[in-house]
Amino acid sequence: MTELTRRSLIKSVLAGSAAITLSGCTLLARKAGGQSPQQYTGAIGLPDNRFAVGAIAPDGKMLWQSPVGARCHSGCNRPNTAQVVFFERRPGWAFYVFNSESGDRLHRIEAAEGEHFVGHGVFSPDGRFLYAPANRYEPGEGIIAVYDSQRGYQRANTFELNGIGPHQITMHPDGQTLIVGLGGIRTHPDYDRIKLNLPTMKPALVMMDRLSGEVLARLQPSHHQLSTRHVDVAPEGTVYAGYQYQGPAHELPPLVARYRNGRYEEIDFGETVHRELGNYIASIVAHPENDLVAIASPIGGTALLFNGHSGEIVAKAAIPDCAGVEALAGGDFLVSSGRGKLVRMGKGKPAEEIAGMPVQWDHHLV
Amino acid sequence: MTRLTLTFLLASSVAASPLMAAPANTVDRQTAEYRKQWHSDILTGYQNLATQGQTLANQAAGYCQAPSPEGFEQTKQAWLEAFLAWQEVRFVDFGPVEQGNRAWQFQFWPDPKNLVARKASYLLKDEAQITPEKVSESGVAVQGFPMAEYLLYDQAFANGEEALPAGRSCKLLVAVTRHIADNGQSLANDWQGFQSNYLGSDQYTDTTIRSAMAGLEILEERRLATPMGLRGNGKRSVYSADAWRSGASLAAMGASVQGIKQSFLPAFSKLLTDRKQSDLAEHIAQQFDEVLANFPEVDRPMAPLLADDNGYKLLQSLYIDLTQLTSLVNDRAAVELGVVRGFNSSDGD
Repeated sequence: MTELTRRSLIKSVLAGSAAITLSGCTLLARKAGGQSPQQYTGAIGLPDNRFAVGAIAPDGKMLWQSPVGARCHSGCNRPNTAQVVFFERRPGWAFYVFNSESGDRLHRIEAAEGEHFVGHGVFSPDGRFLYAPANRYEPGEGIIAVYDSQRGYQRANTFELNGIGPHQITMHPDGQTLIVGLGGIRTHPDYDRIKLNLPTMKPALVMMDRLSGEVLARLQPSHHQLSTRHVDVAPEGTVYAGYQYQGPAHELPPLVARYRNGRYEEIDFGETVHRELGNYIASIVAHPENDLVAIASPIGGTALLFNGHSGEIVAKAAIPDCAGVEALAGGDFLVSSGRGKLVRMGKGKPAEEIAGMPVQWDHHLV
Repeated sequence: MTRLTLTFLLASSVAASPLMAAPANTVDRQTAEYRKQWHSDILTGYQNLATQGQTLANQAAGYCQAPSPEGFEQTKQAWLEAFLAWQEVRFVDFGPVEQGNRAWQFQFWPDPKNLVARKASYLLKDEAQITPEKVSESGVAVQGFPMAEYLLYDQAFANGEEALPAGRSCKLLVAVTRHIADNGQSLANDWQGFQSNYLGSDQYTDTTIRSAMAGLEILEERRLATPMGLRGNGKRSVYSADAWRSGASLAAMGASVQGIKQSFLPAFSKLLTDRKQSDLAEHIAQQFDEVLANFPEVDRPMAPLLADDNGYKLLQSLYIDLTQLTSLVNDRAAVELGVVRGFNSSDGD
């Protein structure tokens, strides 16, 4: 019994402690991008299988932590308001709307019958409509579920993706085009997270008109098992996609694609780097102030920055279980890990750990 | 002082370099040696699974041709032996076992919605012929050990009209056990075919270590702590365990620990020793024996142990030994080797 008691004691101490290790001189820098609030919100895993959504201020202080019933994955800030939305992790049966200043929970919106969310969403530029990729799981159809925040997050529309397994969504700087990572993998909530169609996957990067739901472009990776999961877009319109390869680990295909001026190209970092990335990219973020793009792989325990135009790697760090990435004002990136670390990375400087917290950051920071 | 500590933390966490970060296009000879041994040890386990699966399929076919109480008992015994052979290699979560969700085909679990029983009921009431093709297209809940276990052990089913050796139930049992046998055979063959890729790719060293770490974590957390009520809602429930119908949950855990010891530990001990961690290697080997020393005493159905405080103590003792083993491998050795399994890396999004 002694060992049991000791373990639970350690766990409860961890759970109760909000202590943050921060070195005095390296406070968090400002987040890049004018619109988003100066805080980072992420889904958190707590000891004993409890979950929360939490926000930290640029000085590294935990601003709030709001408990949720299930593990969340990612979310999005609602433009022009103090609201942040977070989605339950796949299969997500609900999303939560919080006051981003206080952490008060304003809504919990359940998925429609026969659908589940996949962990991501994005707002229209005016902050009214929320676009949430979802899975209509009996037929296995990927859709974008549209919610009207001005009407208490009522369902306003449904757009068909004509494909399987949508994951991340973001808004093109034109304010009209939704960019969707269509992973191509069919799952069903009755079968845990089993991938049901690996031989016949059809992943794609999809561009969709946010008003009509019309699919404007569907760009397919070079191999049908390159699950196109994460996406981002630079202010000038170059779109980036990060893959997760579903084939065997000894095969090392490209993991990043770039779409600009109507051309879809994959960026090959070489086998050594692909191996370090474990064939898996959890986040891809284009910096709004420069031409750098950051990717993070928890499987490989590697995060790196590359030049978006040349594809040249400019910084790389081994960060165990790293997954979340945010752009910082001034040109650097912040990388979060499942071990509670926040690491700052920039061009031409060593990676710098700026905080360690007794929480597990889930994949994304917003 | 604070500053020093922070620098140290930074150095240890940011710079910890995983084993797979090996130089480009060169296969580290020494790590290939570990993989050579792992490949051979895992092959032994897979071949045993293939053999036991074959015996089960033959036994089931024989029983259904000429049903008898003895034949029924022998089929149950053959199921148990094949199931335990699967438990011994269950930790291997990479390579050919990933193809076509084979691991899920062998054992669909957890099954909180009782899909196994629902699918069985549906198939047995359906008009369509029960054929190998039907089993192949019916999804993983139909294709493996839990379905055969349901037909052989489920009490409500045994008391119903469709109980074995009823015609359709027998057809299903024969088709499912044949599916298990075929899967076992092709897995063993494919593992042999996988040898050159496995030996030729350094990253499989990390992958193999992680698979054992995941296997231990699943044992501790999902297979033992959860039914014991130490996780989630805090209620003890045998239905959270696997193989509760046959009462083989604990026997299966013993087989999984034994399997990791047989197929993983030898090369892992060598790797640790080569990295000047021979004390840790020895400590881990001893802890495997500590866990296994709970058997055969704890090798009995879990339900009565959960219901009785004296019985529960046996589970606690096993749990404590298992947490210590998990902690040695997943925390201490993992840190020494820079191999990390994490909140996000095991997530799949």
